Amino acid sequence: MDFLRPAGWSEALEAKANHPDATPIAGGTDVMVELNFDHRRPETLLDLTRIEQLREWSRTERNGVPTVRIGAAVPYARLIEELGTTLPGLAMAARTVGSPQIRNRGTLGGNLASASPAGDGHPPLLASNAEIELESVRGSRTLPLADFFTGVKRTDMAPDELIAAVHVPEGTGPQQFSKIGTRNAMVIAVCTFAVALHPRRRGVGTGLGSAAPTPRSATEAEEFLAGALAEDGQWDDPRPLPASVTERFGELVARAAAPIDDVRGTAGYRTHALHVLARRTLSWAWDEYRSGTELSGRQRCA
Amino acid sequence: MTGATRATSPGPERIEGHAKVTGTARYAFEHPVADPLYLHPLRATIARGRVTSVDTTAAERVDGVRLVLTHHNAEALVPIGDPELAVLQSDEIAFRGQLIGAVVAETQESAAHAADLVEIRYERMAHDSDFRDDADIVYTPDADASPMLSPDLEEGDVDAALADAAFTVDATYTTPTEHHNPLEPHAVIAAWDDDGLTLHDSNQGSHLVRDLIAPLFGVDKERVSVISPHVGGAFGSKGMPHGHVALTALAARHTAGRPVKYALSRTQMFELVGYRPPTRQRVRLGADREGRLVATEHDSLEQTSRFKQYAEQSASASREMYTSPNRRVTNRLAALDVPAPTWMRAPGEAGGMYALESAMDELAVSAGIDPVELRLRNEPEVAPVSGLPFSSRNLPACLREGAERFGWHERDPRPGVRREGDWLVGTGVAASSFPSLFFPGSLATIRHESGGKYRVEIGAVDIGTGSRTALTQLAAEALEVPVEAVELWLGSTEQPHASLAGGSAGTASWGSTVVEAVRAFRTEHGHDPVSGAETTAGAGKNPDAGEYAMHSYGAQFAEVRVNADTGEVRVPRMLGVFAAGRIVNPRTARSQFLGGMTMGISMALHEHSVVDERFGHVVNHDLAGYHIAGNADVGSVEVDWIDEHDPHVNPVGVKGIGEIGIVGTAAAIGNAAHHATGVRVRDLPLTPEKFLR
Ligand SMILES: Cc1cc2nc3c(=O)[nH]c(=O)nc-3n(C[C@H](O)[C@H](O)[C@H](O)COP(=O)(O)OP(=O)(O)OC[C@H]3O[C@@H](n4cnc5c(N)ncnc54)[C@H](O)[C@@H]3O)c2cc1C
Repeated sequence: MDFLRPAGWSEALEAKANHPDATPIAGGTDVMVELNFDHRRPETLLDLTRIEQLREWSRTERNGVPTVRIGAAVPYARLIEELGTTLPGLAMAARTVGSPQIRNRGTLGGNLASASPAGDGHPPLLASNAEIELESVRGSRTLPLADFFTGVKRTDMAPDELIAAVHVPEGTGPQQFSKIGTRNAMVIAVCTFAVALHPRRRGVGTGLGSAAPTPRSATEAEEFLAGALAEDGQWDDPRPLPASVTERFGELVARAAAPIDDVRGTAGYRTHALHVLARRTLSWAWDEYRSGTELSGRQRCA
Repeated sequence: MTGATRATSPGPERIEGHAKVTGTARYAFEHPVADPLYLHPLRATIARGRVTSVDTTAAERVDGVRLVLTHHNAEALVPIGDPELAVLQSDEIAFRGQLIGAVVAETQESAAHAADLVEIRYERMAHDSDFRDDADIVYTPDADASPMLSPDLEEGDVDAALADAAFTVDATYTTPTEHHNPLEPHAVIAAWDDDGLTLHDSNQGSHLVRDLIAPLFGVDKERVSVISPHVGGAFGSKGMPHGHVALTALAARHTAGRPVKYALSRTQMFELVGYRPPTRQRVRLGADREGRLVATEHDSLEQTSRFKQYAEQSASASREMYTSPNRRVTNRLAALDVPAPTWMRAPGEAGGMYALESAMDELAVSAGIDPVELRLRNEPEVAPVSGLPFSSRNLPACLREGAERFGWHERDPRPGVRREGDWLVGTGVAASSFPSLFFPGSLATIRHESGGKYRVEIGAVDIGTGSRTALTQLAAEALEVPVEAVELWLGSTEQPHASLAGGSAGTASWGSTVVEAVRAFRTEHGHDPVSGAETTAGAGKNPDAGEYAMHSYGAQFAEVRVNADTGEVRVPRMLGVFAAGRIVNPRTARSQFLGGMTMGISMALHEHSVVDERFGHVVNHDLAGYHIAGNADVGSVEVDWIDEHDPHVNPVGVKGIGEIGIVGTAAAIGNAAHHATGVRVRDLPLTPEKFLR
């Protein structure tokens, strides 16, 4: 087996172009498990850990929206520590990943490239309308995350491409994430759900995990909720959400799922649980929005 | 906080504790040997049939490969009646994963790689690995076949008593296949030389391994030495030597004296070293108006293997637990094309008491009697079936003390009425019991080195329980010298013969042996022995054996929270109060109870080997898929015990403590989950979807 250790990004892209079948390795928390179980036997490993720029994040602007660009090799521990207030949904999801050791090594880029339906990083990124930046010696392209996932553990990445970064619009409202597992930690999700309120553009974002062959958003639920909030003037003058709204939101989220039965849970349980998670996270997010608005209102008066 | 709250002296620290945490204690695979070779097994990929051809050409060409062993070139072993040890003796396949060969090479990697290149063809036969109640596969085991078996019990007229009973319960409980998963996977190093065979082996009894492996290879016992100074957990899976020991020793026949090393992978452990068989148990209870049992019926069906019968007797939990004039207890087996099950911590009691203690809770609910009180009302004066007096029985004290400590008396009995936020909250109780066993035949050597220092040798094993420490204490006490003056050697066949570490009988059997050997030493050499004075002796027959019923008891209390919307189950608080005779070392004893209860939480909430009947294998055969409770799943677990002096049980007055901690835990948690939700789940593990109706 060859082990390539590029020192910089362009060298890495060269290497990938020359060895399109090389398996990139970042934290190795998925790759090493696969090697260990003989699920794959790559001829070549392409080690990304020496590439400084993959481990950086920065604030930028995309189409006038303040955005965080997160290098593919930023580990969960740093998402929690450094981006907890800017991208709260992603940080919440990162906290539920594995154990401290896994959070130190495992990276967001690795999570995306693995494209497991159960990847915990995906739902909050979907809820925030994140985009993924892929690069090769041919050039760079950026696409919505939803278009990146093409099937169970399959992505739109070309053989010569690498993930450079993820672009996540900064939150302008509350974000929540909830995960159900068959134990309290170190667990692959039975199902997950992320919701983000976007008051500035009066939108709602969602992401479902372990609920379909690919991570996905519940578009109908998003549209329904955004419409209901706008109709009732809730964005400017938030009041408790009517039960009918949370209930319908939960229903539409559950309807967006296409789960399977497996050793972790039944399809029926997953559908039920998504309904619950959707209502639960929405009410948390909404409570936060209401108290936040009251707070900023009071501050304005003072 | 997890811990014992009693304010007694904690007892000496584990003697080998420092060596273990600093990594200098040597486990089987780590023993330094010169010029070793490595073994990788070949395992059947079908569940039943025959090997029709093996092509080893490509494997033999791999650099560093020294041997490809199959049934074609393996030497004949002596049939000793254990099919697991009769490896590579024919082309027959009885279960998926069965050992059918091995590659031995200079490195682990080349052995594994070459093993992949061996081409094996099979003749497939239809297999059956679907555990169910079906006349085609169910039979009654011959009760004479093993001391673990007892015949069906029929006393009085259960059906008539049930028909007249004021309150009845008729419920079926199921428990799944579970795998032991000790921290240290099974490992062995085998080497033959002119003196015979040396095995560095992770086991629960080096002498037992020798007693089976020597005749298997047709050599004298003296020509086999087995060495096992430290064992990283076992839980029964290392009680009997499994096929890998025979396979490695067979392979080492071909290596001209070079040692052969083999450590099982976690995944191989799901096929090769036994498991707790799944059970289906029906319990019928009848009680009068006051809640006194008038009828007890417990019928158990459990899985066994067609390849090798293993039987534990879950229903036997109901023989001696509570008073009941009418009683029927039956145990049946369902034989399938699966690996052989084996002992796993509290074999029989763990599953059987889950069913009985859940049924007792159901009876308490239907009779409107507090579950602690119900158990007290059914406390027998003498052992119900044998009629023997109890050597000591402090279950009521455990229940009362536990209830007091847990705050049981403020409990509102109504199920499903306490809610904190999204969480439904409940509490539950269950009793624990485990027989106090004594294995005869152990010997210890006591030797006065010089200047008041003693060397004690006994071929026992410390599987991580603290035996080395407890035996050192007992020896020091009997010799009337400080603990530091005793150096205790155990773990290998170099020391005198000792029984295996099992049945929670270690400290009872070996401790009695050591104490009796000290007495013999003093008789022979007096209190001022010369340097080099030495005596080897064992424990005599206990005159009270067979005259008293001997058991440990306990009461376990659990607080459980079940999420009202998602069904997620949490166990924030548990308390176990035990009565287990003399506690030699509170520090290590506490770990045994605590570990048992923690494993019980795991059994209640997580552990489940999922079998795919189509292929006959466990799907979740690694620690990512087979969940064991982690730190985040275990809240506060408190352990305490009643001071119990039992003059009958054995010369040291100790009862077993290694297994009782897991007995009753799952029932206490299930009962608390019912109290929280009003939903009675009768199938372990208690996973979220089972609470949603
Ligand atoms: C014990 C344990 C617990 C876990 N718990 C969780 C959990 O709770 N939730 C969860 O979601 N996951 C979990 N995982 C899975 C894993 O940790 C995550 O998916 C992690 O994000 C993978 O990141 P990594 O850097 O380790 O990826 P690696 O293993 O290095 O790579 C993963 C995949 O991504 C590819 N890759 C990596 N970087 C790039 C790049 N820049 N461009 C293109 N391809 C790339 C690799 O080739 C490989 O296919 C767990 C894993 C373990 C071992």
